[in-house]
Amino acid sequence: MSMEDYDFLFKIVLIGNAGVGKTCLVRRFTQGLFPPGQGATIGVDFMIKTVEINGEKVKLQIWDTAGQERFRSITQSYYRSANALILTYDITCEESFRCLPEWLREIEQYASNKVITVLVGNKIDLAERREVSQQRAEEFSEAQDMYYLETSAKESDNVEKLFLDLACRLISEARQNTLVNNVSSPLPGEGKSISYLTCCNFN
Amino acid sequence: MANSLPTEFDVIVMGTGLPESILAAACSRSGQRVLHLDSRSYYGGNWASFSFPGLLSWLKEHQQNSDTGEESPAAWQDMIHETEEAIPLCKKDETIQHAEVFCYASQGMDGNIEELGALQKNPSCVASSTLIKPLDSACLSEETHSSHITSYEVPTQDTPKNNEEITDTAETSVKEEYCGYDTYKHTVSDGTKDEIKPVLEDNSVPPKRKRIAYSQIVKEGRRFNIDLSSKLLYSQGLLIDLLIKSNVSRYAEFKNVTRILAFREGKVEQVPCSRADVFNSKELTMVEKRMLMKFLTFCLDYEQHPEEYQAFTQCSFSEYLKTKNLTPSLQHFILHSIAMMSESSCTTVDGLKATKTFLQCLGRFGNTPFLFPLYGQGEIPQCFCRMCAVFGGIYCLRHKVQCLVVDRESGRCKAIIDHLGQRINAKYFIVEDSYLSEETCSSVQYKQISRAVLITDQSVLKTDSDQQISILIVPPVEPGAYAVRIIELCSSTMTCMKDTYLVHLTCSSSKTAREDLESVVKKLFTPYSETEVDNEELPKPGLLWALYFNMRDSSGVSRSSYNGLPPNVYVCTGPDSGLGSEHAVKQAETLFHEIFPSEEFCPPPPNPEDIFFDGDEKPSEPLGTNNIVMAKLESSEGSKNLESSGKHLQN
Repeated sequence: MSMEDYDFLFKIVLIGNAGVGKTCLVRRFTQGLFPPGQGATIGVDFMIKTVEINGEKVKLQIWDTAGQERFRSITQSYYRSANALILTYDITCEESFRCLPEWLREIEQYASNKVITVLVGNKIDLAERREVSQQRAEEFSEAQDMYYLETSAKESDNVEKLFLDLACRLISEARQNTLVNNVSSPLPGEGKSISYLTCCNFN
Repeated sequence: MANSLPTEFDVIVMGTGLPESILAAACSRSGQRVLHLDSRSYYGGNWASFSFPGLLSWLKEHQQNSDTGEESPAAWQDMIHETEEAIPLCKKDETIQHAEVFCYASQGMDGNIEELGALQKNPSCVASSTLIKPLDSACLSEETHSSHITSYEVPTQDTPKNNEEITDTAETSVKEEYCGYDTYKHTVSDGTKDEIKPVLEDNSVPPKRKRIAYSQIVKEGRRFNIDLSSKLLYSQGLLIDLLIKSNVSRYAEFKNVTRILAFREGKVEQVPCSRADVFNSKELTMVEKRMLMKFLTFCLDYEQHPEEYQAFTQCSFSEYLKTKNLTPSLQHFILHSIAMMSESSCTTVDGLKATKTFLQCLGRFGNTPFLFPLYGQGEIPQCFCRMCAVFGGIYCLRHKVQCLVVDRESGRCKAIIDHLGQRINAKYFIVEDSYLSEETCSSVQYKQISRAVLITDQSVLKTDSDQQISILIVPPVEPGAYAVRIIELCSSTMTCMKDTYLVHLTCSSSKTAREDLESVVKKLFTPYSETEVDNEELPKPGLLWALYFNMRDSSGVSRSSYNGLPPNVYVCTGPDSGLGSEHAVKQAETLFHEIFPSEEFCPPPPNPEDIFFDGDEKPSEPLGTNNIVMAKLESSEGSKNLESSGKHLQN
């Protein structure tokens, strides 16, 4: 396990109301499964998928809410050190769209300033039950300066695209940052995880 | 909505402080169905960390605490059956007292402020709330602050009278509204701009010292993560061991404390503690270096050399140090900064033991024996909560519990009734001390902790690097008083804004927090309004803002002093005054083993990268399948090295 087999590692965090399909999106992308057996998420902290973009290996570490969104009790620490956030709502559920400003407020409070946020309207396979028009969502995401995409985890529509586009943007941001941040300014994520420190100690 | 709370659990945990959170994680990890509640809107109880506006609203909440006697008992008494009894729980939090706020920073409105905060990047929660009509419009209503917050005059002199006034205003003026997610919104009303005369003009800023205005602190308030309980992690301590063992460490990042400081003869000095420090020290003479090294080396295995200290076991450690041929400054360093013991009460053996512990922790992760979690101590309980949730624990903040329901015949607690009048059953109940009613606690004696939180503009000991994390012990002035522990955090710990330091003072209380700590604050800092006078002459850092409060210390309370608690109700205590969190970890582990004697405490979870999915699992109830799924995960994991996953979190 000594040499890492990737060029980039990014932490992507999913948020949004319960039942909008966050876990389905992750499972569809990482395992090609739908529906994901509910019980299987127990004990799973995050899912990993390594993708190749322009010849570079990009490891995506995708974190789910572990159900804490159900009663609006997500821990702040969940947002820390995320490189990207996928804010998800259900196009057949007006309520899940109306809650977006509350989610944005959480992001503003706890996530890094540099985080990339993508708005995702999921469940487009249920188009006949749509409650949130594409136009409304587009206007909203534009006003918030967010990238916007509609997906279906069930039909696998736009799911690959969602994560791969995100990976591309993360790579270009990372490149820019390394150019800009060669000065020794304190940055978030500068601390170390204990296990990492321990490794140094043991080796 | 389908989002109603289930009513059957194995364990209900009330309170999200550190011991409760560790217990919740441990129970959930061992397959129990856990419901974890907190009556507050935030995680951590008195272990929490707050942004600056968050702290102000926390203060306000505690000041308004008296108005909560609204609900009548009848609401839930109907729900108690004849064969049952109810134990009502506490409705208000009385663990915080004597809170006092002082602001020394100018209220000057700097034209640049608007652009300073990277906060502005996402301009628009305000806009968005108009775009989409919120369900409950009160939820999203933007609280525009009344002018009080900026309208009071800034004292140019630090007269006590002035201070009192400010205290009042600062305490009462900050209005907060809980928004949907309990994020705190602060807007400094623009209307007040004209009313106040900025004390400082921009052009009066001295070249060396950057002037920081109160409005800047408010604007960048999100950058602060202010700990209610100021602690560090011993790098060989129980908490670090638990974090590593359980893999909860992957949810947090840490920094080394970079300096151990001492306060002696009115001066702050750096204490050399590692071998390298001792050799590189410019303050110590060659002879002193040799004496110190010799003594420290002996302490590392003092048990092997009983002849060296046997004759002094009845003496205090300070008496013993006097016999060891150490100069007074070395004695001071060892007693106060390394052993961190007080002069009068510490025996020789305790002192040697503490010194050894310190030395053993040294060098595991860096030059000092301590670590600090990025974003503050409040992250740690949350990390354990995340772990609990990952294993199926259900989380509910802002959820009050009205009473425990006890079965008369068995004497055991069988349910709780929550603020919605819902009855939730469980086998075991874990409750934090402050949730218990006055009646239950009538014979309990609590200690108190005195705390101060300061925002300053410079470090107490300036060096080349402005990014130091320091711990400083100030010995008591009079014998019998308590030593004051000071932890100074720089902005790279993600607990304060750039160009400021966050300083935490802690001691066991004799009086109110301000009475206990103000003299130390005065020794080390100068009110900011005075620092402009002749800045060349002033070596002391400027004090921009200060908060004092007392916190209840329930750590010493024994289970038997609570009246009438059923045997399956377990009590966790709030933070103690100690530097580490050993007490909380021990408590959690002890209670866990009392409840589940045969279960392992927080074993390592499977590495997410090693989890293998069959792909044909049937969708099932999320809570019912723990055992099956976990068995599967564990078998695929094999005997995975503990250390292997954390590294991947770093890029």
